[in-house]
Amino acid sequence: MTLNEGSIDQIYRVGDVKTDDPGMKEFLFSLGCYPGERICIISRLSSALVVNIKDARYSLDSDLASAIILSDGAAESLVV
Amino acid sequence: MKIALTGNPNSGKTTLFNSITGKIEHVGNWPGVTVEKKEGPVKSSLLPKGQSVTVVDLPGAYSMSPYTSEESITRDFVMDESPDVIVNIVDATNISRSLFFTTQLLELGIPVVVALNKSDLNSKKGTIIDSALLSEVLNCPVVDTIATDSRNSGLGDLAEAAVSLKLKKAKQPAPAFSKGIDPNNKEEAEELDKKRYDFVSSVVKRVERRTVSSSSQTGQDKLDRIVAHKWLGLPIFAAVIWVVFSISQSWVGPWLADILVGWIDGFYGLVEGVIGEGTNPVISSLLLDGIIGGVGAVVGFLPLIMVLFFMLALLEDSGYMARVALLMDRYFKKIGLSGKSIIPMIVGTGCAIPGIMATRTIKSERQRRTTAMLTPFMPCGAKLPIIALFAGVFFNDNAWVGTSMYFLAIALIIVSGLVIKMITGDNSVSYFIMELPEYRFPSFKRAAISMMSRAKAFIIKAGTIILVCNALVQLLQTFTWTGQVVPEGNPGASILAAIASPLAWIFIPLGFGIWQFAAAAITGFIAKENVVGTLAVTFSVTNFIDVEELALVADGSQVLSVFGIGSVAALSYLIFNLFTPPCFAAIGSMNSEMESRKWLWGAIGFQLGTGYVMAFLVYQLGTLFTQGTLGSGFVGGLIASALFVGVIVLQISKTRKYDVQRNLKAA
Repeated sequence: MTLNEGSIDQIYRVGDVKTDDPGMKEFLFSLGCYPGERICIISRLSSALVVNIKDARYSLDSDLASAIILSDGAAESLVV
Repeated sequence: MKIALTGNPNSGKTTLFNSITGKIEHVGNWPGVTVEKKEGPVKSSLLPKGQSVTVVDLPGAYSMSPYTSEESITRDFVMDESPDVIVNIVDATNISRSLFFTTQLLELGIPVVVALNKSDLNSKKGTIIDSALLSEVLNCPVVDTIATDSRNSGLGDLAEAAVSLKLKKAKQPAPAFSKGIDPNNKEEAEELDKKRYDFVSSVVKRVERRTVSSSSQTGQDKLDRIVAHKWLGLPIFAAVIWVVFSISQSWVGPWLADILVGWIDGFYGLVEGVIGEGTNPVISSLLLDGIIGGVGAVVGFLPLIMVLFFMLALLEDSGYMARVALLMDRYFKKIGLSGKSIIPMIVGTGCAIPGIMATRTIKSERQRRTTAMLTPFMPCGAKLPIIALFAGVFFNDNAWVGTSMYFLAIALIIVSGLVIKMITGDNSVSYFIMELPEYRFPSFKRAAISMMSRAKAFIIKAGTIILVCNALVQLLQTFTWTGQVVPEGNPGASILAAIASPLAWIFIPLGFGIWQFAAAAITGFIAKENVVGTLAVTFSVTNFIDVEELALVADGSQVLSVFGIGSVAALSYLIFNLFTPPCFAAIGSMNSEMESRKWLWGAIGFQLGTGYVMAFLVYQLGTLFTQGTLGSGFVGGLIASALFVGVIVLQISKTRKYDVQRNLKAA
């Protein structure tokens, strides 16, 4: 499953980043988005996603969200 | 000694820089406001006696491996220019990411001080950071700072810590998690970065206590869902733009302009009285009409510009800009740009130069160059007087004239973006990712400071470049080639008329083939404020703003008769000035961001052509609708416009042909 298919208010773990743009993979790493890390979908706005990585909010487009692969079975509901 | 300010984007480096140097560099609440390095001396009140310290503000970076070009400025500076001390500004609300960069800085062998900034925000959220423990585990001083609070900011402690660290002989040991790893080996380097983040996570676990998890929904997220909503987002953005420009151009701006022009009028009268009747008429008209009249006509519009800058500063301070980028990404992708392209364009409504420089945060080269090329289409502050003047004289101060120019600019940007996408044949799409800063209530104080510094720059410009240009224009229209004073009633005999007249015929198809307008359009390339100044001097109108009535232009009909063109031609002239190439300074800035002669000349040619064709269409179609016939010079203008369109079509078809050939080869 990719991040783009994830649902709101769920915490996932990043499985892999599949992109031809090596700079982007490195950039995502520096933000803390790499295999094994937690990522939470905050909202879906027009064609973009707002996610929480570490302690910051980012908006990313659906292309990039589709490049982020989530690892299976790691979803946990957010306890509010 | 030299201190470098480094840290993640939007952690408050420039705010801190301004506080410790007393400078007024541009700040805003989105990642990527600062795109170049800036230097200044630290205020002596913050330093121990006898010390002098230079501090360098650097663009924000997430790590030592730069992704966009402004990030590499930071990497290159700390690597190559060996500052004595690095002050690492860490956003206290987000240490779990920020400390990643910190650990990289600690390995450089340069003493590091951590400034835990925005510490006030943490107390609001109930997050506690044990800075003493953090200092212990990182082996470096940690100082709590609040860069936005001038009284209680911790800046003195920070400067003190930096200076004493420099004096210490002992080397600062870097945290040990990288032993036995070769950073030059790619796989091992990746392994190292993972270890780095593991280390950071273990540090965060020890020093930070959060009461609320950062992934829980907040009021801010609710607001995002409204302002970046699929359908509501665009109307909200349009309304925000409309409010900003109508407040500066129709409500508060003109009201303040009236007061100012009253003073300028008084000054004109005073000088007139002092020099008296006995002075040489050439000198007195140079002083009164050329310098005071010309510069005064421009300065009269200063309040409009100031109000605009104030409003823009509030907008930039609120956190809304990053949401606009997110909102526009969907639309800008279709024209081959990125959502980030909107930020240079909004900044460009103040001044095109910082706007063009802001394109550095765009990763793709073609998108960056295209954005730098299209940003000057947004009317900048210096074009505001032209808009206000023409709206006042010909359109009864209707607010729609001004605001519609901004929407026309957006429309032109969309069409041009598509055309450039076709010319370059580059259909690649790039990813969009942008950090969303927290919204905050914009500070009126910061907006006022930003406004005053821009106003100061404007007054300096008016007192130098614009004054010289107006004096020159006045002299050139006073004398003939033989050095005689131009005879009364024959202004066409002047040097200025002789220079500008041959150019004026190019403008006949646009409806303003009059040498005064041609002269004003040319001086506009030096600075766009000159357009209004030159018109004032060449038509001998001393001021355009009425003091008695609350009207931007004194007796519009009177100025109208002096100008000798109709409202359709006036609109065409306005459009021509707004959408032709910007001033020379902005062209220089386009040159340095595009890094390509081909792109630069292409951009200038494209802007000239666009301005000409737009003005031509407005004049000819406008005349057709209002008077039922075509305007003068239609055939000539049509040929010129057809040439421009022809060149573009040719370029596009060349690209297409090349693509086909390449595809064939590939197959």
